[in-house]
Amino acid sequence: MAVAELTTAGGALAAPRRRRTRAAASRIAGGLAVLITILLLSSFITYSLGALSNSNPAATILGQDAATPAAVAHLDHVLGLDKPLPVQYGNWLSQAVRGNLGVSYFTQIPVSQSIAQRLPVDLSIAIGAIILAVLIGGTAGTVAAVRRGGWTDRGVTLACSAVSTLPAFVVGIILVVAFAVTAHALPANGYTGPSAGIGPWLAHILLPSLALALPVAADVARQLRTSLVSVLEQNYITGARVRGLPYRRILIRHALRNAAGPALTILGNDFPLMLAGAVAAEAVFSLPGLGQLLLESAQTRDIPVVQGVLLVVSTFVIVINLLVNTALGLLYRSADGVGV
Amino acid sequence: MTRTTRRAPGSSVLRLPSARIAVAILAVIVSLAIFGSTLAPQSPLAIDAGALYKGPSLHHLLGTDYLGRDVLSRLMAGTRLSVLTAFEAVAIGLVIGAPLGVATVFLGRWFDFSANRVADALMTLPSIFFAVAVTAALGNGLVQAMLPVGILLAPVFFRVSRAATLEFSRAQYVEAAELLGGSKLHVIRVHVLRKVLPTIAVTTATAAAGALLAVSFLTFLGIGVQPPTPTWGGVLSSDLDYLNLAPWAPFIPGALIAITVGALNALADAYRDRAGAGELHSPVADPVIKTHSTLQPLEAADDRQTAA
Repeated sequence: MAVAELTTAGGALAAPRRRRTRAAASRIAGGLAVLITILLLSSFITYSLGALSNSNPAATILGQDAATPAAVAHLDHVLGLDKPLPVQYGNWLSQAVRGNLGVSYFTQIPVSQSIAQRLPVDLSIAIGAIILAVLIGGTAGTVAAVRRGGWTDRGVTLACSAVSTLPAFVVGIILVVAFAVTAHALPANGYTGPSAGIGPWLAHILLPSLALALPVAADVARQLRTSLVSVLEQNYITGARVRGLPYRRILIRHALRNAAGPALTILGNDFPLMLAGAVAAEAVFSLPGLGQLLLESAQTRDIPVVQGVLLVVSTFVIVINLLVNTALGLLYRSADGVGV
Repeated sequence: MTRTTRRAPGSSVLRLPSARIAVAILAVIVSLAIFGSTLAPQSPLAIDAGALYKGPSLHHLLGTDYLGRDVLSRLMAGTRLSVLTAFEAVAIGLVIGAPLGVATVFLGRWFDFSANRVADALMTLPSIFFAVAVTAALGNGLVQAMLPVGILLAPVFFRVSRAATLEFSRAQYVEAAELLGGSKLHVIRVHVLRKVLPTIAVTTATAAAGALLAVSFLTFLGIGVQPPTPTWGGVLSSDLDYLNLAPWAPFIPGALIAITVGALNALADAYRDRAGAGELHSPVADPVIKTHSTLQPLEAADDRQTAA
C-alpha cells in the first residue's frame, strides 16, 4: 500500500490533490456554518422553553407571603424578565458563551458550577460505553463473521436481535439483577469519582456503561459481521491466504481495516446519543449526573438550571456529531459525512 | 406496473409468520388500550397488605407489587395511557414531517436546503431531555412531555418521505405522465404518493416503537403521572426499589415493553421486505439519485484520473 502511494505521488498529480484539499476545507467550513446556525436554533428553542413557562419565577423565589406585586415587579426587573424575549435571549446567550449560565432560583448556586460537578459522571459512563461497545461489538462481529453459518454465528445473531429490542434502561435492570442483586459482584448504585481510587470508580461505572453499550454493541456486531463476510469473500483475501500469510494477520490487517467503515459510522452516530442515553443509566443506577439534575430542576421548575443543562447537552451532542461526521467523511470518502 | 401484478402490500405482508405474530400481539395491545381497565381482573389501585411481593399465582397471575396491588391489573389499566401518548407523538411527527418531506422536493432548492438543515438540527437533539424540560415549562403531564418527542420525530418522517419522493419523482413513468399532460398535483397524488406511502408506513411502525419506548422511559422516570396512576414504566420503576425482595418483578413490565416494541419493529421489517421499500427506511444525508444523468460527482472523476 505504501509503495502504491509513493508511485502515484508524482508532481503531475498535485492539482487534483490540491482540489481535494480545497474540497475538504470547504466541507469543514460549510460544516462550521451549519454548526453555528444549528447551535443558535437549538439554544433559542431552549431559551424560549423557559420563557414559555407560565410559572412566575419572581413570585416563586419570594415565596407566598413576600410576593407583593411591587416586590415581584422589582425582582423581575433585577432578573431582566421584564424585557422582550429576543433581548432576554441575547443577554442570556452572551453570558452563556462566557460560561455564565445564571444562578439557580432556589439554591443560588451558579448553574455552570452544578453542571461542571455532574458532567464527569455522564462523560465517564459514555466514554466507558463506547470502549465497551467497540470491544464487545467488534469481537462478537468478527467471531460471527469468521465462523459464519456455524452455531457461534447463529448465537451471536440471535443475541444481537434480542438485545437491540431491549431499551437501555431494561438492559440496565437486567444487569443490576444479574451482577449486583444475585451475584453481589458489583455495586448496584451510587458513584465515586476517580479521585477516590481507580478501582472503585471503575466498579461504579462498569454496569451503567455496559447497559448503555450493549444495544450499540449489538448494532456494531451485526453491521461488522455483514461487511466482514463480504470482504472475506474477496479475491485479495484468497490471494493473501494462497501466499501463506497467517490468518490472524489477514483478518486484522486486510479484512477488518476494510470492513470497519459502516460499523464505525454506526458508532460515531451513536456516541452523542449515548451522552443523552446516560440519563437512562443514571435513573437505573441512581447516579448523580446531568439527567438527575434536569429531573430535579424540572420538578421544582428551576428554569435557569433546566435551560443550562439543555444548552450544555445539546451543544455537546451537536458538536460531537459534527466532529464525528467530518472525521468519517474524510476517512471514508464514500460515507455521506457532510454536515451534522 | 399493471394492475394484475401489483399486490396489495397489506395482504402479502400477512403471509409472513413473523408479521402475523406481530399483528396478533399488536391487536392484543390495542384491545388492552381500549378495554384494559374494564377487563382487569382486579382493581389496579386496591392495596392488599396481606399479599406483598407475591410471585405469580392463580389469584394474582403476574404477582403483586410492594403494596400488594395486582401487577396484571396495573399493567392492563396502564396500557391506554402509554398507547395513546405514543400515538400522539407519532401523529405529530407524521403530520408535520411527511407532507413537508413530499412537498420539499417540489418547492425549490432554497426551501429544500433550509428544511434539510432544520431537520438536521432537530434530529441531533436528545428528545428525552427536551421532554423533561417541557414538563418544567408547560406543566407536568405526559401529553405535554410527548409534544417534543413528536416534534423531534418529524425530521425522521421528513427525511424518509423526501428520499422516497426524490427517487420516485425522477422515475421515467413520472416523466411520461408529465409528458402526457398530467397536472403536477395529479402526478404527485397518483404516481408519487402511492409509491411513497409504503415507506412512510414502515417509518410509522418504527417511530411508534421509538415513541412507545420514550413513553415507557418517561413514566419510568416519573414524568407526567401522579403516583397511584398505573403505567408500564411506573410499574417498572417501583419494582426497582425492591429488587432484594423480588428480583424477578421488573422482568414482567420489561418483557411487556420489549415484546410490544419488538412486534412493531418486526412488522416494519416484514413490510419493508415485502413492499420493497428497500433501504429507504434509513435517512440518507443527501441522496443523489439520478435516473438519466451520466454525470459523475467531482471527486469520483478525480479518482479515475488518478488511476489512469
